[in-house]
Amino acid sequence: MSQQASQSFWQAAGKRLWRDNLAKFCMAILAIYFVLALASKFGLVAADWNKGVGVSFANPNFMADEPNPFGKNSQMKPESVPMDDATRAVDPLASYEAQIEEAAKAYPAVEEKRAWSLPLGGDKWGRDVLAKAIKGGEVSITVGVLAALLAVTIGTILGAISGYFGRVIGDVLEWFYSIFTAMPYFLLVLAIAGAVGTKGIAAVIIVLGLTGWTSVYRLVRAEYIKQRGREYVQAADAIGASQSRMMFVHILPNVSHLILVQLSQLVIDFIKAEVVLSFLGFGVPLDSISWGVMINEVTVELVLGKWWQLATVAIVMSTFVVCFGLFTDVLRDAFDPKATRR
Amino acid sequence: MTQKNLLEIKDLRVTFRMGQGQRFEALKGVNYVVPEHATVALVGESGSGKSVSAMAIMGLLPKSNTEFAAESQILFNGIDLLKETDDQRRARCGQQISMIFQDPMTSLNPVYRVGEQIVEVLMLHKKISKKAARERAIELLTEVGIPDPSKRIDSYPHEMSGGQQQRVMIAMAIACEPKLLIADEPTTALDVTVQKQIIELLKKLQRSHGMSILFITHDLELVREIADHVVVMQHGVIREQGASEALFEAPQDPYTRALLACRPHIDTRPLRLPVVDDFLQGREKDLPQGERSRGVGPADPIVLEVKGLSKTYTVKQGLFGHREVHAVKDVSFKLARGKTVGIVGESGSGKTTLGKTILRLHSCQGGEVLFEGKDLMKLSDKDYKPYKKRLNIIFQNPYASLNPRFTVGDILMEPMRVHGIFDSDKDRADHARELLKRVSMPDGAFFKYPHEFSGGQRQRISIARCLTMKPEIIVCDESVSALDVSVQAQVLNLLQELQEEYGMSYLFISHDLSVVKYISDEVLVMNQGQMVEYANSDQLYRDPQHPYTQKLLAAIPGRG
Amino acid sequence: MTAYLIRRIWQMIPTMIGVMLLVFFIFNVFGADPSVILAGKIPNKEKIAAIQAQLGLLDPWWMQLLIFAKQVVTFDFGRSWSTNEPVSALLMSRAPVTLTIMLQVWLLDALIAVSLASWVAYRRGSLTDRTIVTISTAAMSISLLLYVVVGQYVIGRVLGWFPVSGWAMNDLWTNLTRYAPLPVFLVLLVSVAPSLRLYRSFIVEEANQDYVRTARAKGAGEGRVMLVHVLRNAAVPIVTNLGLQLPGLLVGSFLIEKIFSIPGVGGEIVLAVSNNDFPIIKAITVYTAMVTMIANLLVDVLYKWLDPRVEFK
Repeated sequence: MSQQASQSFWQAAGKRLWRDNLAKFCMAILAIYFVLALASKFGLVAADWNKGVGVSFANPNFMADEPNPFGKNSQMKPESVPMDDATRAVDPLASYEAQIEEAAKAYPAVEEKRAWSLPLGGDKWGRDVLAKAIKGGEVSITVGVLAALLAVTIGTILGAISGYFGRVIGDVLEWFYSIFTAMPYFLLVLAIAGAVGTKGIAAVIIVLGLTGWTSVYRLVRAEYIKQRGREYVQAADAIGASQSRMMFVHILPNVSHLILVQLSQLVIDFIKAEVVLSFLGFGVPLDSISWGVMINEVTVELVLGKWWQLATVAIVMSTFVVCFGLFTDVLRDAFDPKATRR
Repeated sequence: MTQKNLLEIKDLRVTFRMGQGQRFEALKGVNYVVPEHATVALVGESGSGKSVSAMAIMGLLPKSNTEFAAESQILFNGIDLLKETDDQRRARCGQQISMIFQDPMTSLNPVYRVGEQIVEVLMLHKKISKKAARERAIELLTEVGIPDPSKRIDSYPHEMSGGQQQRVMIAMAIACEPKLLIADEPTTALDVTVQKQIIELLKKLQRSHGMSILFITHDLELVREIADHVVVMQHGVIREQGASEALFEAPQDPYTRALLACRPHIDTRPLRLPVVDDFLQGREKDLPQGERSRGVGPADPIVLEVKGLSKTYTVKQGLFGHREVHAVKDVSFKLARGKTVGIVGESGSGKTTLGKTILRLHSCQGGEVLFEGKDLMKLSDKDYKPYKKRLNIIFQNPYASLNPRFTVGDILMEPMRVHGIFDSDKDRADHARELLKRVSMPDGAFFKYPHEFSGGQRQRISIARCLTMKPEIIVCDESVSALDVSVQAQVLNLLQELQEEYGMSYLFISHDLSVVKYISDEVLVMNQGQMVEYANSDQLYRDPQHPYTQKLLAAIPGRG
Repeated sequence: MTAYLIRRIWQMIPTMIGVMLLVFFIFNVFGADPSVILAGKIPNKEKIAAIQAQLGLLDPWWMQLLIFAKQVVTFDFGRSWSTNEPVSALLMSRAPVTLTIMLQVWLLDALIAVSLASWVAYRRGSLTDRTIVTISTAAMSISLLLYVVVGQYVIGRVLGWFPVSGWAMNDLWTNLTRYAPLPVFLVLLVSVAPSLRLYRSFIVEEANQDYVRTARAKGAGEGRVMLVHVLRNAAVPIVTNLGLQLPGLLVGSFLIEKIFSIPGVGGEIVLAVSNNDFPIIKAITVYTAMVTMIANLLVDVLYKWLDPRVEFK
């Protein structure tokens, strides 16, 4: 027991985490996502996601030769109507033709070179699906992480107060909690989303944070009630430690690993919630992009047989959340070695 | 009279795989026999491997990480149990061999009535109808001394007391008339008076059913009461075995002698308790002789006076009703400087509540605690804070009372920071290290975390934490109860030395009458929240006045 | 027991008041003015004012709150602001639709999750166990929306096994056989995984208890230990969890309802929030809150029935 080198709880958990190959793999994948999100945030990649760089529904590169209505091998011929006297006679704008031509010269037509195929294809406006997925990832991950941080902060503070002090304060907070849980979760989210109104990323973060704190609250409260009765807290009380010291210096480090796992879980939940919110039109505004907005677009595309945006967003998003989920699992086990598989 | 051997353990070696390639050798070649119609006791401290062989007999060791050596044998009536299939083992367990465990509360299935659980074992092994099984269950409950068995058979385990639960476990174990009953620390979770009843019951059943008992315990004195043969174990090997009388008369192995001597005795009070190392390192002859005298005289200055202290809980009842439950009722005593008041009682007697109420870790509902003429109970939280430095507590569970996220250094320096003792953290750290040395902890402990230490070491850290504040009064709440006998002796010696060195007064709370006798000048006996007797220690043990005290003293094992 | 029930019902009142205040606060303080929406494309001031008066929006706030309270007590939430249908009639027609889907989901989820969980818990530590737990984690991490979009496309459009969307009014059999299977299947894909993991943890926890060792010592076989001893104890938290899911059945999955054009309560919520149709929101919130609290109470009573150690305080 005492022959091993001094090792704090966090170091030991970190070691267990590092020994797990699955955890290492997931962390590597997640690192790539976070680096891409940061790069996109600072405009290093995917900065021009909103520009039509390809033709409408450009094919992915690996099937560039497939027929595409607006690209190579197109079976559609643009219809052109020659201007002859007969048409001029009925066209009310005919007399202005010279004027129009003249005015048009002021705006030299920039011949946009649109690619016929893009790495992972294009959407209806010819935007690059890959760039959209990266930019969308930045927004989705930002929303997920910040909303989870907000929810965990609210939940931890309220839960700690309620669990530690109990009595009247505890009852009031329990009442508050019961209100939030008595309402159907998504009605609450939609109601607050509808109410907060001003559509934007910040609004989505606030909506998810304000409604998602309940699970953290319940966990932290239960833990505080449990820890409050532990002898090490009574010992701190006996030596004269103040209430805030017992709450935050003594108890909090003993529950913080549970909060971290909860945070990790909430990031996944909120990324999924953002997808649904955006799908219903309560989330990220349509002029910006997120994974949810992308999925919203694909329902229409599928009918036209344009499956590549769906495939991209499905794979990109699922890889992220699945890795995050598996990582959360390993994290939970690393913190609680007794609860592992046996 | 020659007895046939019912069970023979031959060269039993058991290794546990601990994961990451680590292995732990729990039994390193153990040999012993259990003759027919005899009681054999396996004695040892924690980590001695005393339960492992019993679990192996029952096939209860986890298959996935347990390894038996090829030469190991467990012969039951000549059949090697280690070679049996699961089905054969299952048919034998509960039928020919049965087992009872330490904690009857958790060992019984909480959602089934006790009758159903006894009927289950009967139905598993005997071809009888449910009705017949139920009748047999009532007979069994009668036999193990459950009052009103035809009614109690339909009780749930939680509706019974700990003693009754263990009786039910015993009824279940003897239901199929086993040849061998394994009892793994069957009385450790029970009060001393209940322990005596269970031991009597086991002895009676052993005779009437002609079974053998393999009795596993850490308590040598208890062994004296029940066993015919004794096997003493330490770290997976047998130190000594032999017939009970001979072994207690003239223990051959120094470890056995140490175990017998470390435990405080009710009749003697040496100046210092011997520790295991004294024996193992051959210092047996150099042990200080002579008795320590205890007691409080009228001239001793009083530091703390408790007058009529009461603590009540309110329990909701009915729609608007409340009911008051007295945890502590009208307790008064005086604590003299440099002396110890021992508080003894069984579980639920309110002794711990009393200690914590005095330190204001619980609220009080009446009475006074006078310290330097001030009633501590009347002070505001703010006014009380300076007193927290002067009155402190050492808890029972050394695993729970140290914050697992703090290093030992932080744990020791925290009280000094809170109370502004010393001006700089450097001075505090220096003082903390001095104290660590004082309680015989290695200097390297300062940067380590509590989980790296054993129970006894952690209790030393707790003591050092108290000492940082130089308290005048320390409440020791079952402070040595969770420790092994050998460690217990060391900690008791340390407490004794520190009392002499610093002139502190102790309030020593324990369920263990021998320990209390050893350490206390005065003793207060509590029962169901009330104090039943309060007297000088020697007088109380020599001439107990109250019937409850007499009952407690009579139940101490080894006093038969 | 009676005293306990009365006290519990008594305690529902403050929660109900809280829920009312929260809904009222959100929609009255932040909500858009529904009269503007109702006035149509060419709003004029007189028309808006008339509508406001008609909806009672010009009353002082406490008067509106009082009316709300009266609605809660009488269970009469008036008429929808956007369609002018009586709210109760609207909900009565929506609720059975949602239940048609969700009751199936609830039952199947319980059945599949409990049996799978017992199986993997029985073989805990094995490769099967680890694989299934890992697959569950992956399955529950992926968004329901993706399952639905892909599932609808592949199964409904490409394979054509079930209609892409639709609902038959008043024809339970058609609904059960034609329209419900695909949505139910897709919801199950997402909902089974978390239940499975939760139930597995309950069962594993019970399997580590002392009484299991006693059962083995009695000579009970592993199957009996699992079925009679472990599962009976694990049933306590499992049944509790099933009970807590009940209120959700009523609300349903609005995502499913929207995508598969199922006229249920969930779709109605989305519509009501978009239109700021306050009467419908009030009604749904109040009813759900009531069902939630009653379900909680039921769960506690059930808990007592399952676990003899529990006492009502």
